[in-house]
Amino acid sequence: MTATTPAAPPGAVPRKADRRGTASPGGGRRKRKLLGENPLGLLFSAPYLVFIILVFAYPLVFAVWMSFQDYFFAAPGAVVDRPFAGLDNYARVLQDPAVWRAFGNVGIFLIINVPLTVILSLLLASALNRAVHARAFFRVAYYVPYVTASVAIVGVWLFLFSGNGLVNNVLGPLAPDPSWLINSQLAMPSIALFVTWKQLGFYILLYLAALQNVPKELYESASTDGAGPVRSFFSVTIPSVRPATVLVLLLSTVTGANLFTEPYLLTGGGGPNGASTSPVLLMYQRGIEQGNPDVAAAIGVILVVLVMIIAFIQRKLAGGDES
Amino acid sequence: MQRRMTAAAIAAAGLLALTGCTSGGGGGGNTANAERGDITIWYSNNEAEIAWGEQMIEAWNADNPDEQITAQEIPAGSSSEEVIGAAITAGNAPCLIFNTSPAAVPQFEKQGGLVSLSSFEGGDDYITERSGELAEQYASADGSYFQMPWKSNPVVIFYNKAMFAEAGLDPEAPALSTYDEFLETSRTLTEAGVAPFAINPAPTSEFFQSWFDFYPLYAAETGGELLVEDGAATFDSDAGAAVADFWATMYSEGLSGQEQYPGDSFVDGESAMAIAGPWAINYYGEDVDWGVVPVPTSQGISPEETYTFSDAKNIGLYSACENQATAWDVLQFATSEEQDGQLLELTGQMPIRQDLTGTYPDYFEANPAYEIFGDQAERTVEVPNVANSVEIWQTFRDGYSSAVIFGDDDVPAFLSDAASSIDDLVAQG
Amino acid sequence: MSATVATPKREKPGRGGTVLRGVVLIAGALVFLFPFYYMVIGSLQRTPDSSVTGAFPNIANLTLDNYEAINSRIGLLTGLVNSGIFTGGVILGTVVFGMLAGYTLSVLQWRGRGVTFALALLVQVVPFQLLMIPLYVLIARDYGLADTHLGMILPFLINSTAVIIFRQYFLQVPKELFDAARIDGASELRVLWNVAIPLVRPALLTVILITFIGPWNEFLWPFLITKDASLQPLAVSLANYISSVAASAANPSGAVLAGAVVLAAPAVALFIVFQRYFTSTDIGSGVKG
Repeated sequence: MTATTPAAPPGAVPRKADRRGTASPGGGRRKRKLLGENPLGLLFSAPYLVFIILVFAYPLVFAVWMSFQDYFFAAPGAVVDRPFAGLDNYARVLQDPAVWRAFGNVGIFLIINVPLTVILSLLLASALNRAVHARAFFRVAYYVPYVTASVAIVGVWLFLFSGNGLVNNVLGPLAPDPSWLINSQLAMPSIALFVTWKQLGFYILLYLAALQNVPKELYESASTDGAGPVRSFFSVTIPSVRPATVLVLLLSTVTGANLFTEPYLLTGGGGPNGASTSPVLLMYQRGIEQGNPDVAAAIGVILVVLVMIIAFIQRKLAGGDES
Repeated sequence: MQRRMTAAAIAAAGLLALTGCTSGGGGGGNTANAERGDITIWYSNNEAEIAWGEQMIEAWNADNPDEQITAQEIPAGSSSEEVIGAAITAGNAPCLIFNTSPAAVPQFEKQGGLVSLSSFEGGDDYITERSGELAEQYASADGSYFQMPWKSNPVVIFYNKAMFAEAGLDPEAPALSTYDEFLETSRTLTEAGVAPFAINPAPTSEFFQSWFDFYPLYAAETGGELLVEDGAATFDSDAGAAVADFWATMYSEGLSGQEQYPGDSFVDGESAMAIAGPWAINYYGEDVDWGVVPVPTSQGISPEETYTFSDAKNIGLYSACENQATAWDVLQFATSEEQDGQLLELTGQMPIRQDLTGTYPDYFEANPAYEIFGDQAERTVEVPNVANSVEIWQTFRDGYSSAVIFGDDDVPAFLSDAASSIDDLVAQG
Repeated sequence: MSATVATPKREKPGRGGTVLRGVVLIAGALVFLFPFYYMVIGSLQRTPDSSVTGAFPNIANLTLDNYEAINSRIGLLTGLVNSGIFTGGVILGTVVFGMLAGYTLSVLQWRGRGVTFALALLVQVVPFQLLMIPLYVLIARDYGLADTHLGMILPFLINSTAVIIFRQYFLQVPKELFDAARIDGASELRVLWNVAIPLVRPALLTVILITFIGPWNEFLWPFLITKDASLQPLAVSLANYISSVAASAANPSGAVLAGAVVLAAPAVALFIVFQRYFTSTDIGSGVKG
């Protein structure tokens, strides 16, 4: 907020000078220092900033504040005692084995889901981008699971992966026992596969848009240099879509960390024995079902911090996108 | 990026200081006001209850032009508690909700969202006269009522007569009274291959699922004991162990499934029995020729003495209501003998009223299949009305799932661990 | 693939590569289309059949009853109109304001740019469950927007994922293109309109397609904000229908699947209509023009 107030001590005079737009070199420099090279940016971004502040910042700050209180939601006008609780909620959360398990589960999820998403969506998108026939059909096909409501898709997945479902029938004696979704070793990997499958269409769309902006000349010159399709995939395609890869990495990590619907619907609330509980599912149970939003907020804050750390590391490893 | 995040956080913190905390202040929400006027109510969105609600509102609105009711539907499932909780916090809850789960009442009460019905003139008397001894379970810790006991769905065992006949069992008098009989019948059913499972209660981890496997049998086994009584868990006992062992056997022998079934396994012929209340009859429709028996007990006590879980839905009067005197009148109107009769007729669910079968003899004569529910409704056990109710049930369910459904832990350890955690939760409240 | 590796000197991918690509694409398409196919089949079944044979159509077991049941119970037209307003509002807000923000975040230098981008990332990271009740209180009580379309739209108005996507694709565009236009004396808005937008048309369509899905399938928020049936979008009516349907429907799971088909069909139809605009824009031609 301080950025919008004038930084220089004699406030009024230079501001007037700025507004008139006179070529006073001192004022111009100060303005540049104040608003950056191109202050139009602030103007163009203003609607988005206002939106974020009105809709997002207040509830978020409120949630963080709540995590340091002994807090619960009450009717307006109800007199309730909600003392400052310091780090009590965090202590409670960190001592809860269910919380550790949920974070471990989501770790397993990310290890499977993120690399699989990046590799499969890039492969399918580049195959699709260079396909000659029936491109429209394939595009629609890949988009379908992403569009379809989870309630229905979960029904299909249960049909496929239940004890006597299609997958086990095909596998015959190789089918796992207990079956996929009630096997504490396989429940989380099954969910990770499900989410990869459901979300892939979205990431394929991202990569397709990126691939279409790769200049054809790059491929042409690669092939005159004698590069085959495999080599030009590695030497042209992958570097050209790096910004998209950074984005896919970021978004799939974030979506994965916020995993909720799938354990809620697919494994009936995080079963078996909490093997597929996710932090957000725990937040939902603690905060909304059980009326302890302060504890839920503490879980949420820990989750957000962890995801930001992971995103930061990914950004470093993937080489950033601005340089 | 970290530096930017910090900057963003500081900017946002400044914002919080500006907007401040908007709640707090004002008077308490627990005692009723005496205003009259139009009110809004919510009811459940299943077709039978909508039909009941519409005729009730029509009858009321015709006689009370200055105090009109408007109604809206909310979902019957677990998301109704989220919706109500959010509405309480925002102060825009309706006057009455005809779909208030007793398990959620302690939390809504703590939030200041409910009006004490005892604070109305003659409130307590009205409730106890209508519901008799059953009312007591719905009183809060201080003895006052924050919910109107409304209707129950006493949980019983449904069985598929055709499957029983096919397996060579007597479809009119099945042997399902003791645990041994129940297990033997279940083995016969699955061995005969009439259905993959004998009975298939949802094996999932939602907090309320224990109401439809452990709790009805526990109520029957103990002759009507609640999960928590006098501030302590009751189930770490011989009765609790007997019920848990019974279900553990069902799961370990594969008589009940460990995997959730997408759909209704009884309707789809995936199981030969179901454990449910009368609301389920609408689901079973004409597809299944069903019979009903009370839930089993270890020794097989007579049906007239068998208790079960009530699966009740109650009426709450919410503190955001502006015209609470009207709301209280509507509440009484909707639970009058006539409207209770309509409820029975239209939904097949049991009004929580003393001597139900004696009050509506015509109905039970015309619908003999419902008589067992009318009779069971007199002996029902509710979820304990204690703070942290949902958390208590979730704790119970998590332990139960691991020890009983999946057999990963042993049953005695589960009972004593869960009991001590639940004792702590009750004490915190 | 080894065949193409063995002959790296060929200028175009060999027949082996083309075939392999076709196989990958077709296998992918089968895996992806199966749920939709299964949904349609399941929604047409008279009695539910969850066995493997149930995945294939059986003439004796086909019916349109499940669709008729939905049509008789909920106002499909009202639901569609409300979904249209909700989704349309979000798409409009996202495309106009989100693109402006994405453009400034990538092409322009200004103070607060870093913080704004960090905020957009933060929005991604924070789970909605954490904010739901405070947000509801804010919008229903403080802004007084309960039971309005605006209250429904507001939390989704500008999709932050879209902002990030716009930024990413604007970053891919060579800076020289913008500079050339600026040297020609074009204003910043003109640069955006004449140079930037045509170049990122694939991204624009991507954004519309992914933004569409959020509000279209969103159930909990519109339901929280309005209980008034005449304002509820299709997803809410269908979810209500699904949660209470079994009492009246002969085939409950069929009814659920029919509901899902009704919800998915407009989204798929729109995608089919719009995907043909989803064509490549040659950056080279951009340089020339």
